[in-house]
Amino acid sequence: MHYTFQFGDVWAAWPDLLWGTWLTIQLSASAMALGLVVAIAGALGKTMGPRPLRWAIDAYIEAIRNTPFLVQIFLIFFGLPSIGLRLDSNQAALVAMVVNVGAYGIEIVRAGIDNIQRGQIEAGIALGLRPLQIFRHIILFPALQTIYPALTSQFILLMLGSSVVSTISAQELTGAANDLQSRTFRSFEIYIVVTAIYLALSMAFSGTFAAIHRAVFVREERG
Amino acid sequence: MIRQFGPSEALFIVTAVRWTVALTLIAFAGGGIVGLGVALARTAPAAWVRVAATGYIQLFQGTPLLMQLFLVFFGAAMFGGSVDPLVAAAVALTLNGAAFLGEIWRGCIEAIPKGQWEAATALALRFPARMRTVVLPQAARIAVAPTVGYLVQLLKATSLASIIGFVELTRAGQIMNNATFRPFLVFGLVAVIYFILCWPLSWFSRRLEARFGSVPP
Amino acid sequence: MSSARSFLLPRRPLGLLGALGAAGALIGTTRSAQAQSIDDILNKKKLQIGVEIDFPPFGLAPAGNQYEGYDIDVSKLMAKYMGVDLELVPVTAPNRIPYLLTGKIDVLSACFSITPERARQVAFSIPYASIDIELLAPKATKITGADDMKGMKVGVARATIQDTAVTAIAPPGTRIMRFDDDAGATQAMLSGQIDALGANNMTAKTIMDMNPSAQYEVKMMLRGSSRAGIALRRGQTDLLQWVNTFVYFIKNNGELDTICRKWLGTPLPELPVF
Repeated sequence: MHYTFQFGDVWAAWPDLLWGTWLTIQLSASAMALGLVVAIAGALGKTMGPRPLRWAIDAYIEAIRNTPFLVQIFLIFFGLPSIGLRLDSNQAALVAMVVNVGAYGIEIVRAGIDNIQRGQIEAGIALGLRPLQIFRHIILFPALQTIYPALTSQFILLMLGSSVVSTISAQELTGAANDLQSRTFRSFEIYIVVTAIYLALSMAFSGTFAAIHRAVFVREERG
Repeated sequence: MIRQFGPSEALFIVTAVRWTVALTLIAFAGGGIVGLGVALARTAPAAWVRVAATGYIQLFQGTPLLMQLFLVFFGAAMFGGSVDPLVAAAVALTLNGAAFLGEIWRGCIEAIPKGQWEAATALALRFPARMRTVVLPQAARIAVAPTVGYLVQLLKATSLASIIGFVELTRAGQIMNNATFRPFLVFGLVAVIYFILCWPLSWFSRRLEARFGSVPP
Repeated sequence: MSSARSFLLPRRPLGLLGALGAAGALIGTTRSAQAQSIDDILNKKKLQIGVEIDFPPFGLAPAGNQYEGYDIDVSKLMAKYMGVDLELVPVTAPNRIPYLLTGKIDVLSACFSITPERARQVAFSIPYASIDIELLAPKATKITGADDMKGMKVGVARATIQDTAVTAIAPPGTRIMRFDDDAGATQAMLSGQIDALGANNMTAKTIMDMNPSAQYEVKMMLRGSSRAGIALRRGQTDLLQWVNTFVYFIKNNGELDTICRKWLGTPLPELPVF
């Protein structure tokens, strides 16, 4: 095999890798946004919903958290068609990612909501705030602020976990790397470069999350 | 050429569980040893040791496990070493686990109140003795719950070894699906088996957390 | 305090055992490597042949540990004629070349089609099997030529002849979906996730039998008569000559024809030599 590293083939394919990186960013960002919606909705359901709903949400969380992501992907992509639901690989990848991060997100957001002290809510009522306002300003916002680090860590894990959707041939960076590798056989060089790209992506996402935190939460405190 | 999914197919899947468990235990042991070193390095007095450990953790936590697995697997092939998927998976999971366990345990060590450290220093204990007799025992108490929690993550992570051809539970499921083409049934069974393996550990971790506390966020 | 200590200590012996076990596995697997010539294999008293077990009818695993198929039968004959024991090593698409090149297997018998690109990495024997590479799609799907693939999802197994053939003729706008193996691509076809599948004639026949209602049919030939050879590491002229002699022999004494009829249902086709 080659002991001399041959990076030429890798640099020559930079458009493919760039495209794959962009697709990973799109896929991850969409999954994060939808996952956040699922997390908030589920957390609300768990804290304020009727008993059957709480039980159903718990079952969903336990099922997702105790099975591997790869198996969930296979079930969604290969298994669902046999009961009539056919998703193409990119759709299946997004669904699998949202379903997965949603389960973890619900627990995280719920912990944040539980942390809100009853006294705060009562004060809000005493001040004459309407329920929706109480929810927004006293419950949701402070909860998100508290659990922001845990949630964003989970999102970074989600982005890194997106590499696994390459197994159902969804279009993202790892898939691009695999295709390149099968054409040129420069496995080590390709995966080193792609790993570096993922590292850069996780730092970029972290930085973005920090900026969002400053923009959304810090301003609220000052105002 | 298509087989019906019957007892022998189900048995093939179930017996692959021992490889999932074996890989999990090897990686947990390896990751535990190296992770302990990483955790201690993160709290060491020497600055360069701390920086090196932090860099290691950030590298392995900031890149996908699948990439780490490919690099170990194809890297070993490149340098003429063994390309046995089990060994490659064990090495990759050990290195990855060391980063996560090291970080968990560092958190536990740092959760010990400063007063404990100072008292140990006042008793003229040097760093290794301080660690061994005062800090680590207390840190270990709150470390148990998240460590068991990590064990669950590790068990699920072994599923990625299927991608490089190691025949553990997920790969066994793929092989059976390719023979019978019943994906819902086969992967459903595989999911149920993982659930049976993981859920008791998750439940145990939650109980431990209630009893011993956990790493403060 | 003392109960907490016990959480740390038991892990160390286990970890040490684990580390020793991993090291032992590393040493153990590298020992049985790098057979360069016939004499090495005769000394080793065993021939390690890489086969696929996920690729009917060339390799399958009907009962988990028992492998069978076209390649397995050829492998058994190879070991018999060399006078050594046979060790079948299951391989997958990602690891079959690394396994061969690092000496984990002596030869590869995995329906590996002969191409000049691959010949840069491995040495091929004279062909021992012949398959057609076809494009398969449901009857209702209209594909009369390569241009009709535009806008369609075409599935193939990555780094196979199907992959190369489809990639070469597919127009821009075709979504080529590369799966890790033929089984994955086949599964996607059966689930209706892809519009067309590049596959060899055996896989195509299997799919057609499996799902008659979908009325799959062969739309076009991608590469007729693609021949497979046994693959060896480059530079092993001694062993390569032996394997060529072996293939020539079983072609002429009828054993290869028997295998072909058994697994592919047809008599042995014309297999040119080089």
